Amino acid sequence: MPGIDNQTSHLYFAGIDIGSTMSKAAVVDAEGRMLAYVVGQTGAQHRLRANKLMEDTLHKAGLPLSDIAYIISTGYGRVNVPFADKQVTELTCHAKGVAALFPDVKTAIDIGGQDAKVLKIKNGRLVDFLTNDKCAAGTGRFLEVAAETLGLELNEMGHISLQSDKPVKINSLCTIFAQQEIISRLSAGEALPDILAGVYIAIATRVVKLARQLKVEVPVVFTGGVAKNAGMVKAMQDVLGVPVLIPDEPLITGCLGAAILARDEAFKLVQRGEYQAHRDKKLTEARIDFGEKSR
Amino acid sequence: MVIATTKGLSRAHEIYADRGQRVRELRKAGKKIIGYICLYPPVEIISALGMVPFRVFGDMSEPITAADQVSTTVVCPFLRSIIDLGLKGKFNFLDGIVGAHTCDIGMTLVISWRDYVKDAPFTHLIDVPHTDHAPAVDYFEGQINSFKRHLEEFAGEKLTDDKLKKACELHNKQRKLVRELYDLRKSDPPLLTSMENIEVLVALFSLPVDEGNDLLEDVIKEIKGRSIKPPRKKARLLVWGPVFDNTSLYELIESADASVVVDDTCVGTRAFWADVKAPYNLHALAQRYLVDLKCPRTYRDTTHHELERNYDKDLDSRFDYIKRAVTDWHVNGAILQSVKYCDTHGYEVPNLRHYFDTLGIPSIYIEHDYSERSLAPIKTRIEAFLETLG
Repeated sequence: MPGIDNQTSHLYFAGIDIGSTMSKAAVVDAEGRMLAYVVGQTGAQHRLRANKLMEDTLHKAGLPLSDIAYIISTGYGRVNVPFADKQVTELTCHAKGVAALFPDVKTAIDIGGQDAKVLKIKNGRLVDFLTNDKCAAGTGRFLEVAAETLGLELNEMGHISLQSDKPVKINSLCTIFAQQEIISRLSAGEALPDILAGVYIAIATRVVKLARQLKVEVPVVFTGGVAKNAGMVKAMQDVLGVPVLIPDEPLITGCLGAAILARDEAFKLVQRGEYQAHRDKKLTEARIDFGEKSR
Repeated sequence: MVIATTKGLSRAHEIYADRGQRVRELRKAGKKIIGYICLYPPVEIISALGMVPFRVFGDMSEPITAADQVSTTVVCPFLRSIIDLGLKGKFNFLDGIVGAHTCDIGMTLVISWRDYVKDAPFTHLIDVPHTDHAPAVDYFEGQINSFKRHLEEFAGEKLTDDKLKKACELHNKQRKLVRELYDLRKSDPPLLTSMENIEVLVALFSLPVDEGNDLLEDVIKEIKGRSIKPPRKKARLLVWGPVFDNTSLYELIESADASVVVDDTCVGTRAFWADVKAPYNLHALAQRYLVDLKCPRTYRDTTHHELERNYDKDLDSRFDYIKRAVTDWHVNGAILQSVKYCDTHGYEVPNLRHYFDTLGIPSIYIEHDYSERSLAPIKTRIEAFLETLG
């Protein structure tokens, strides 16, 4: 990896993560420091969302698009980012982003809106992973269903669960059956905090089972929208049996990793003397795909 | 007799796209077509009695609808797809079906076929022991003998030593030619893609052995002579697992900038790596199928009789052929794939992944439900795996 010199010190890089539920973008400078990030709902129109998100992030960073040397898109909707220079899977990007925030990390657990992933990281690099991407059990969706059933806000649900001292056992790991189980527990007169704590433990158990297949090594970092929930964090630590580290903004490790990988890619191009050619080609495309629409 | 107008790879593609094409013609001309399931029915006996062995596969693009009447949903979707196609009349060109007890569902399939599909007048089930010890080989030889007698009766002719020898030689020739075809992927870049390879192999399972051999000779000549070669890719992979009779997975991998250069699957190397040895009798067949053919459905534990179990030695004796493939084809990553509910392959995975670790080869395990649809979520995992290879 080439160092920062007068060719690269003024460059900026962006990562954009179009997830199943939330989309996120971040901009970093030549030293990999994050200048700005924006988080928003993905919605149905990936391309529009990607354009808007990039625009907002640049605005926040106070940079024009032309200052961005390289953009990597990631996440479930990564193919729908026409202005990206490269697509990289969310697994690699998350690992990179988590390692940027916690350089010693060995295990990362990410629970997204519709999937859960466990990453093994060695010296800042992804070395192994497992995903649960076929079923909503053990994902953010599971919590949303529980919240809808109980008529609670997600955040509120987390705090209520912390009052529990004897969590109920939710036996069903299927999102639909668990919903029925929650209702029957309610009618059986179980206390709400205990039911909620049981829901979090059910999700944590499901994901930890995945993690154990790869052997859990500390430090463990917990990311994804679900990691914002106090009840979920407690359940995760209880089931794992070790403390988990959580970034200040657990949603953005994917786009941060993508931005840092964008920086690495651009530095490689500079080193090979191919940067200017890449840039010219890209600016032409960007004018067509993005610049003119946003003007 | 219809003369094929296409040759080599385009002929292979044509047969791949319509597997029954040639056997329907042959049947019209009076040949008997014997379908077989899995790799354990000895095809030499079918060929030797003047019939055409036709390997029965499922169809990954056909939704399973009719099979629900005769099977539960929590069993191998590959075998379910076969019975589904059978019930829909898609194998109505078969005169018979031969299955083997390769796994429990594989055995049940033959019985269901006999009871519910009913198209084919001949059905036979070969019992196959699950270990490769000497008494098991003897027992399996007896099973091959009853299959032989049953098929002789159906054919109305006797299997002579000479006919069997000739058939063994033809099938051995096919195996040798397939190994030559695989040699063409040892170079970097490989001289053919894994999609082309699968199309050729699936075509071989749909043709009489001599026609398959002619096709192989044409294909090998064509590939050696062509000026446009597949591009060099970032990774050289081995694919392991049960049946994958379709190019879709290979397309997915190759589009993520990796070449599949070799495999350990039952559409690929497993079917063609071991020859039948002289003197080409039933015992030689039993030896070839039960001992030399390496599929996890047969447990090969060479240290089972020793007091102290040596784990590494055991792994080495089970998987050393994989080590040779990794070296000879310069493999730098392995994709272990299995069809959902395949216990046979599922139980092999932890040991095998550990073995790949000891070889320093990164590996990933993926499961699919034998439908083209189910491959999309696998794409991200394969891409991420390739990213970890650097």
